[in-house]
Amino acid sequence: MSLWRDIKGTLQPFWVTLCNMMRRPVTVQYPEQKQQMAQRYRGRLMLTRDPEGHERCVACHLCSAACPVDCISMQAAEGDDGRRHAAWFRINFTRCIFCGLCTEACPTLAIQVTGEFELAGRDPLKLVWEKDDLLVDHGGHTPDYNFYRQSGVGVAAPRGGLPTETAPVDPKDLMP
Amino acid sequence: MPTLTIDNLSVTIPDGSTIFEAAAQLGIVVPHFCYHHALGAVGACRMCAVTVVEGKMPGLKMSCMTPAEEGMVVETDTAQAMEFREHVGEWLMTNHPHDCPVCDEGGECQLQEMTISSGHGVRNYRGNKRTYQNQDLGPFIAQEMNRCIQCYRCARTYQDYCGGRDFGPMGSRQRVFFGRFTDGMLESDFSGNIVDVCPTGVLTDKTFRFKTRLWDLQQAPSICPHCSLGCATVPGGRYREIQRVVSGVNVQTNGHFICDRGRFGSSYVNHPKRPRQARVDGTNVPVAQALNRLRDKIAGVIAEHGPGAVAFVGSGRASLEANWLLKQWARSLKCPAPVFELHPRRGRAIRQAVGPLSSHLASLRQVRKSDLVLVIGADPLNEAPMLALALRQAVREGGRIVVLDPRPVDLPCVFEHHPLTQEQILCLLAGRCETGLLNNLLSELMTARRPVLVGGSDLLGGVGLQLLGHLTESCDNDDRYCLIHPLLPRVNSFGGGLLEDAPQEDLLERLENGRIKALVCLESDPGSEHPEAGRMQLALSRLDYLAVFDCLPTHATRRADLLLPTATTVEGDGVYINNEGRMQAFSAALQPGIPIAAVTAGQHPPREFMPETPGSQPQPAWQMLQDLLGERHSVTALRRAMEQSEPRLEGMSRLQPGDEGIKVAPQDPEPVEESTVEIWSQDGDLRLLPVQSCYGSEVASSLSQTVTPRLVTPRLMVHPQEAQQRHLQEGEDVTLKTAHGLFRLRLFCDERMATRRAIVPCLPGTPLEIFVPGGLSLPCDIEGGAS
Repeated sequence: MSLWRDIKGTLQPFWVTLCNMMRRPVTVQYPEQKQQMAQRYRGRLMLTRDPEGHERCVACHLCSAACPVDCISMQAAEGDDGRRHAAWFRINFTRCIFCGLCTEACPTLAIQVTGEFELAGRDPLKLVWEKDDLLVDHGGHTPDYNFYRQSGVGVAAPRGGLPTETAPVDPKDLMP
Repeated sequence: MPTLTIDNLSVTIPDGSTIFEAAAQLGIVVPHFCYHHALGAVGACRMCAVTVVEGKMPGLKMSCMTPAEEGMVVETDTAQAMEFREHVGEWLMTNHPHDCPVCDEGGECQLQEMTISSGHGVRNYRGNKRTYQNQDLGPFIAQEMNRCIQCYRCARTYQDYCGGRDFGPMGSRQRVFFGRFTDGMLESDFSGNIVDVCPTGVLTDKTFRFKTRLWDLQQAPSICPHCSLGCATVPGGRYREIQRVVSGVNVQTNGHFICDRGRFGSSYVNHPKRPRQARVDGTNVPVAQALNRLRDKIAGVIAEHGPGAVAFVGSGRASLEANWLLKQWARSLKCPAPVFELHPRRGRAIRQAVGPLSSHLASLRQVRKSDLVLVIGADPLNEAPMLALALRQAVREGGRIVVLDPRPVDLPCVFEHHPLTQEQILCLLAGRCETGLLNNLLSELMTARRPVLVGGSDLLGGVGLQLLGHLTESCDNDDRYCLIHPLLPRVNSFGGGLLEDAPQEDLLERLENGRIKALVCLESDPGSEHPEAGRMQLALSRLDYLAVFDCLPTHATRRADLLLPTATTVEGDGVYINNEGRMQAFSAALQPGIPIAAVTAGQHPPREFMPETPGSQPQPAWQMLQDLLGERHSVTALRRAMEQSEPRLEGMSRLQPGDEGIKVAPQDPEPVEESTVEIWSQDGDLRLLPVQSCYGSEVASSLSQTVTPRLVTPRLMVHPQEAQQRHLQEGEDVTLKTAHGLFRLRLFCDERMATRRAIVPCLPGTPLEIFVPGGLSLPCDIEGGAS
């Protein structure tokens, strides 16, 4: 039995080589040839916008809390229309390990992954991205979601104006 | 003391406790909303259901409402109880707007925690959510009523505990609303507490709006620096900026709540003009260099003029460690011991509290439990607001409050007010005039079971407190002491008084006759603390050398030849001794530095590397003084050394920030300076009484931007009778004539105040800053019309 095994073990590699000699090569000529990344590939992060074109990020700090390497920092502020937004938002990609935990934590689907991974450079400071660098003008993977149309704080719609809400009550009314 | 079994653990608890409290003692947190330690239970939320397996009434019970019985067996995790709690969680959430990402409570939300602990996860209710219109509740509190779960904690805190009247529940059934009748600023000086008790994000701190999540806050247990009560606080900040203060818990002092001055008056830490750089003769230098220069300079002055030419001034704002080291430094140079209170009259009052009264001092807790409180020469809401809250608790438990004070005293409770002038009060205490009132009060004091006398040091002075001491002693009996609760000028005034060896000559006279060539001020500002502020500033300008350690921009820091920036209470460690002699430690929540928001104008932090944090030069004063003395001990070693040198500080090295504190040992009963009681005759004319105002009178809150909306405008207050005599109308602009000059002020009348008195608030930064509280009333006159 061991003789047969030895013979098979000697010839099989030649056979595998012969089979693959006839196939088309799979090597991609990167960087001349760009690869189309899978949809769920976790590359560089972006900040998306809601269908109405407003920034989705409300600077709730959940992404920075979820981040295992502490690469996200921000400061929240209030806009004139009552919208909570990031006054500044910074991701330090020299620290980022592209784990995607921030996107899972994000309750407004603002921070999302892109397929982009070409971040190498000579200046580390160029890898510290500010809000303007991160903000895109589309909804990313979830173009239809709008946080302010789901939660009732009277920002996107007037108070009590969402389809799931009734009009504001009159607390001075004592009728049954 | 029943013993019962909860989740197979047995626990013995005091009589009258509930199952909830017994479980809490075992470390089992039963989900709850309406129960709050300070407010008790009302059984409104139905969240704390547990199953009583064995007992008089077995079955599903609300643990906060069920008294614990001997031999009871309780299980918190039976299927029945857990299903019930899950349903309650679901019902409470039917109208919730699910806006946690934009809610400031996120991270410290009891609704979030309790909903998760109840097991509710997916909303099954398909009906629409009820909504509300919000109200504008002023600059401190933000409201978002859609988040409300109707636990009534805010109303119970605001109305029942704090005695506010302009906020409460309205409406019926599904529409119950918590707010004011119309929009507007909450009137109570304890309004911030409703933020702490709200279990969800309905009421949040507007000054902290959208600033930081709890998990990013740098927090540490601290002591409120705004008055002498020493309430426990927990300041929090981020990005080198103090952002909020919440109440700490100390059952001996403040309990669970703090006043709005303590809560919202801390932005002085972020003040743009705070000294942040050591400065020698107008040039910024490193701290070490400035310290060397100071040491050389003082040595030079001593060599030239002798040790008597250098004076040291400690302060009731500085920590006990810093004051003690200043004293050590003066002693090592053989200079006169430091003065710890520049106001001679206030100094005498402090010496009374530290000395003869120290065996009879009452804590705020004892004030809350008292059945008769005599408030003499004190205006609690303006001088020490948490005392007013303690008085309310005394009244709620059946106590009685009698106030003797010339001011129109306001308290959040029922009380009896006798508007007597400062002189009449002293006369009364000395038993020299109209004694009917005193006799009545004395007989009440003798029969009261837990009497407390509150004495304001500003009005009474040393003489008054001494008389108050005699009064307490005469009311002592075999079962109990008659206690005294003196209000002192500053947070660590007691500490300063404790370190003082012997009363000294007034600093102003020594400065004016030119005996002092160099002055070292530790967190004190002679130009605004001495009663003769104008004369003091003139004397300071003639001084050869002025060295100042301070954390606040004051007259002294502007004039200083050598300035050393110190850390504020929230940036350093230390110990303060409050007005009842309780040593309490505080620890640093933040490192000093210019707030990032101030550096970047709200934009992202600078994109450059710096070797050190901008504005990080300030150090705790005790560290700099140790450097001057050539020592480097840890704070614990320093406290141990202090214990050995001052026996009354026994226990200081065992203090932990956030604990209840340790009372200093009472002074041995020994004959004290028996000063003669001088009662001066009362002129028939009007006299001026400068008094403290709740916001803006002490320097820290006057530098806090956040309390600006609560500041009073410079004003003059008289009894309507006085206005009538002079043919003046309320609301008119009048001229106040005093020895300090003429002041144009709006006239206010209040018939609750004493006649023959004109009252002005002391407000640093306004023309009235020349007046310093704590003195005797001054001659004055009022003229109406244009002049």
